[in-house]
Amino acid sequence: MEIRPILSALMRSKVSMILIGLQVALTLAIVCNALFIIGQRLERMDRPSGMNESDTFWFGSNGFGQGYDANAVQLSDLALLRQMPGIAAATSTNSVPMSNGGWSTGINLQPKQKTSTAQTTLYIVDAQGLDAYGVKLVAGRNFKPEEIKTVKFGDRLQPAAIIVTKALADKLYPDGDALGKQVYMDEEPPTSTIIGIVERTQVPWVDAEFIDYSTFVPAYMPYGNSTRYLVRAEAGRRDEVMKEVEQKMSQSNTSRIIGKMRTIASVRSDAYAGDRAMAIILGTVIVALLAITALGIVGMASFWVAQRTRQIGTRRALGATRFDILRYFQTENFIITTLGLLVGGVLAYALSLWLMQNYQSPRLPWYYVPIGFVCLWVLGQLAVLGPALRASHVPPAVATRNV
Amino acid sequence: MLKMTHLQKVYRTHLIETYALRDFSIHVREGEFVAVTGPSGSGKTTFLNICGLLEEFTGGEYWLDGVDVRGLNDDARSRLRNEKIGFIFQSFNLIPDLNLFDNVDVPLRYRGFPAADRKKRIEESLGRVGLASRMKHYPSELSGGQQQRVAIARALAGSPRLLLADEPTGNLDSLMARGVLELLEEINRQGTTIVMVTHDPELAARAHRNVHVIDGQVTDFDDEPKLRNAAHDGSPNPTAIA
Amino acid sequence: MFGYYLQLGLRSLRRNPVLTTLMVVGIGLGIAASMTTLTVLHLMGSDPIPWKSDKLHYVQIDNWDVNNPFSDDGRPPDQVTYRDAVALMEAGKADKQTAMFKLALPIQPENPEVKPFQALGRVTYADFFAMFEPPFAYGGGWDRKQDAEHARVVVLTRESNEKLFGGQNSVGKTLRMNGVDYSIVGVLADWKLRSKYYDLTNGAFSDADEFFMPFTTAIDLKQRASGNNNCFKSPGDGWDAYLESDCIWIQMWVQLDSPARLAEYHAFLDNYVAEQKKLGRFPRPLNNRLLDVNQWMRDQRVVSRDVQVQTGLAFAFLIVCLVNTIGLLLAKFTRKAGEVGLRRALGASRNDVFKQFLIESGVVGMTGGLLGLLLTGLGLLAVRALYAEYKNVAHLDWSMISITIVLAIASALLAGLYPTWRACRVQPAAQLKV
Repeated sequence: MEIRPILSALMRSKVSMILIGLQVALTLAIVCNALFIIGQRLERMDRPSGMNESDTFWFGSNGFGQGYDANAVQLSDLALLRQMPGIAAATSTNSVPMSNGGWSTGINLQPKQKTSTAQTTLYIVDAQGLDAYGVKLVAGRNFKPEEIKTVKFGDRLQPAAIIVTKALADKLYPDGDALGKQVYMDEEPPTSTIIGIVERTQVPWVDAEFIDYSTFVPAYMPYGNSTRYLVRAEAGRRDEVMKEVEQKMSQSNTSRIIGKMRTIASVRSDAYAGDRAMAIILGTVIVALLAITALGIVGMASFWVAQRTRQIGTRRALGATRFDILRYFQTENFIITTLGLLVGGVLAYALSLWLMQNYQSPRLPWYYVPIGFVCLWVLGQLAVLGPALRASHVPPAVATRNV
Repeated sequence: MLKMTHLQKVYRTHLIETYALRDFSIHVREGEFVAVTGPSGSGKTTFLNICGLLEEFTGGEYWLDGVDVRGLNDDARSRLRNEKIGFIFQSFNLIPDLNLFDNVDVPLRYRGFPAADRKKRIEESLGRVGLASRMKHYPSELSGGQQQRVAIARALAGSPRLLLADEPTGNLDSLMARGVLELLEEINRQGTTIVMVTHDPELAARAHRNVHVIDGQVTDFDDEPKLRNAAHDGSPNPTAIA
Repeated sequence: MFGYYLQLGLRSLRRNPVLTTLMVVGIGLGIAASMTTLTVLHLMGSDPIPWKSDKLHYVQIDNWDVNNPFSDDGRPPDQVTYRDAVALMEAGKADKQTAMFKLALPIQPENPEVKPFQALGRVTYADFFAMFEPPFAYGGGWDRKQDAEHARVVVLTRESNEKLFGGQNSVGKTLRMNGVDYSIVGVLADWKLRSKYYDLTNGAFSDADEFFMPFTTAIDLKQRASGNNNCFKSPGDGWDAYLESDCIWIQMWVQLDSPARLAEYHAFLDNYVAEQKKLGRFPRPLNNRLLDVNQWMRDQRVVSRDVQVQTGLAFAFLIVCLVNTIGLLLAKFTRKAGEVGLRRALGASRNDVFKQFLIESGVVGMTGGLLGLLLTGLGLLAVRALYAEYKNVAHLDWSMISITIVLAIASALLAGLYPTWRACRVQPAAQLKV
């Protein structure tokens, strides 16, 4: 392999080498960081909410007029829902995971704590609540129907019994004995007893630090004249059930407006729309960048082959085989790419550091740059293959042609 | 050393058949200095290309140093070219981005010699043409005559059996041309077979014998080598080396 | 000569279709990426009300928990309490002022063909219309007297008026919302806002408001806000307790017509907080802010981090495209060494050659720019598809179009400098074959 002469020849006309090397360097730096960001977003989007997302949907009802009894409507709606065919479970609630709106509060182990022990969200449900959400009870028990309090809007909740997620239970009681313990939802008594622990349920805000700390509270509590319901249909029947529910609910009571039925799947989709968009945009730029760099290599290499036709003929005349010529150009490209990649590696880490400082993103894992090296080496070699093959077919007789 | 019999090279397009060489025969013995002459368009360059295995031919036979070159594939011809033939071109064909050392190095690399061996050959070869002191210089820093000398050094470095020169002095002024020719004569005296293609009759006169080509055919086939008169250059009577 | 060089440039492009395509596509893509993201960035962050954005100020006072700051970085709460909003309104120390919150109400149209629907609206004071200047098609806002009287009036937007009354002049008609009749006093004309800058706490790009009604009236009717509500301790039971509490759910804007007035209002606010501290409220250190529109938009990061990263990325991509173009132009011009030698021999000076090739680069840039413009349009289409809420933000306006073309030509000229310089250095003699 004739690395030294090739390197020395390249040094004589640095410009073209710098042009390709710079493109390779910038491409590596950008692609590594962009891929990392995409990976992070995909990871984020992948997090399970803990609830059933394939069979569930939720909707709201907004009553109007004076004398509208939201509490009564809530109970009759639930009764209506629960006798409809195709519905596995239905509950009244105030919010669902990933919906970006809900109720958050602090949970304390002692009264009048200055700083809460943990932050949590409240899902205000009835006895079918856990079933409708589709979350799994891993300790303790579910709410009993008689435990569901009716609370007037604006009054304090003060639930006697609550069910928390395992993550919250572990946060409150790291020794793992949260079941049966009492916590303060307010500054003062009464306390709430943890009667059950569910495996996992996210809070409505996907960016929250306390994303896995949720609390289920047994109550019927409309928000003014608004009531909301979460329905879990029997497997595979969600869409037909949704249509029926919309119809039945609208017809059953004309003093209220039934809001848009939304599947939990679409709630997830909306919650992560920004991440998905970012991933798509970054992905597009990566592809375009690789394409431009590859085309740049093809262009420059073709140009060099054309410029050096005479030299190629001479080398062939002096005894180089076609393969020797091919190898010459592939080697030359390898050298240029490597130099570019070395600079690119430094740029990649610099960019990562800058992103860390200004956008609080985590550090680029070490394996991205080496993998990027390999990919760009391969890309470069493939890009130069065409021109290199053309070069290898330059006939030796070119050497004796007169200028 | 080199034997071509009834060589034929035809270029065929849809409409025309062009005979670059027709029924071309030549026999060069080892140690000879042969000049191939003829007007432009006579087929000298085609002969040169075929002789140097740079082109294939369409008819006849060509034996180089006992090897029948018909039917050799491209790789084999490259190998043969690399080992047996040294080229000197009219326009020098040095690689501008490489220094003299690396230029002479090129055919040796394709030969596969180890680094130490190559270094020795290059130094010797450049020394032989008087340019050893300028090994690290670049072709653009040399005069035409010096560049041709480097090309000669490159041709000699691999100890070829045959030196093929294409108008070696065509791009040089008369002073440099004389120097190059003297160098070629010296090399020939030391035993290397030389075939030189030229249209310059004065140049041709310096060779042992001439082969004249017109319209792709040899017209002046001289089988007997002309031996130089010892009185002309003061060296002892040379004997023809078989 | 310029026209001549222009012609040469165009002809040269045509003669070399592959190379030309590579260059034009390269520039086009780079420009499109940069301009798409730049457009979004520019429009998202652009001043929504440039003739008075420095006069409108968002009121922030820190009534928060003594043990926990509202925000880790020391910023005061992003909304105010009912008590404070009303107190500030009654003090009336600004040139104009309004407290507001978001409210969802069911609208019960008289027209039986239009089903009742839930509408999102804004509850505000009379000054809102003078402060934020929404355009009116019919009628106008209400006045301070009607605020004091808790008048049951409403202003509709063009869209809701379209839905309810087919777009006619509905001023004077009655509208029933949540069982209460309101008199329509005004209908807005088209109010295309890029972002809901007056209510950033509930989402800069959320749905547009559909109606406006007086603050005092909504409170009278005990309507709970539909927006963000934040309490650091339990407010107690019932409506009255809620109004008295330290829960924040109201946005407060003031208009201060000069820097002197701004200083005065600052002093007033400080004084107000001092008074409240005497009553046992506002336990935290003084932390009042009166950011103007642009400052508030920056503070609330209307231009999201993602958009900033995308813009940076797009420009890095443009740089790669430019480096690519330098290489291709170099290749192109080097191949023309013969022509250069000939022209020089025929009398062209170095300068002439320089101009010719620089103009040729410019022609490449122009072509690339046109392609880039087309692709930018497509890019913005894609952005609107990906980010549904950016429908008012992802559009090309004339300033962006001209920037696109100028950027394309400028980058091509920049890229062409080195290759052009190289082309000039060709020695005529060396090129002319004897």
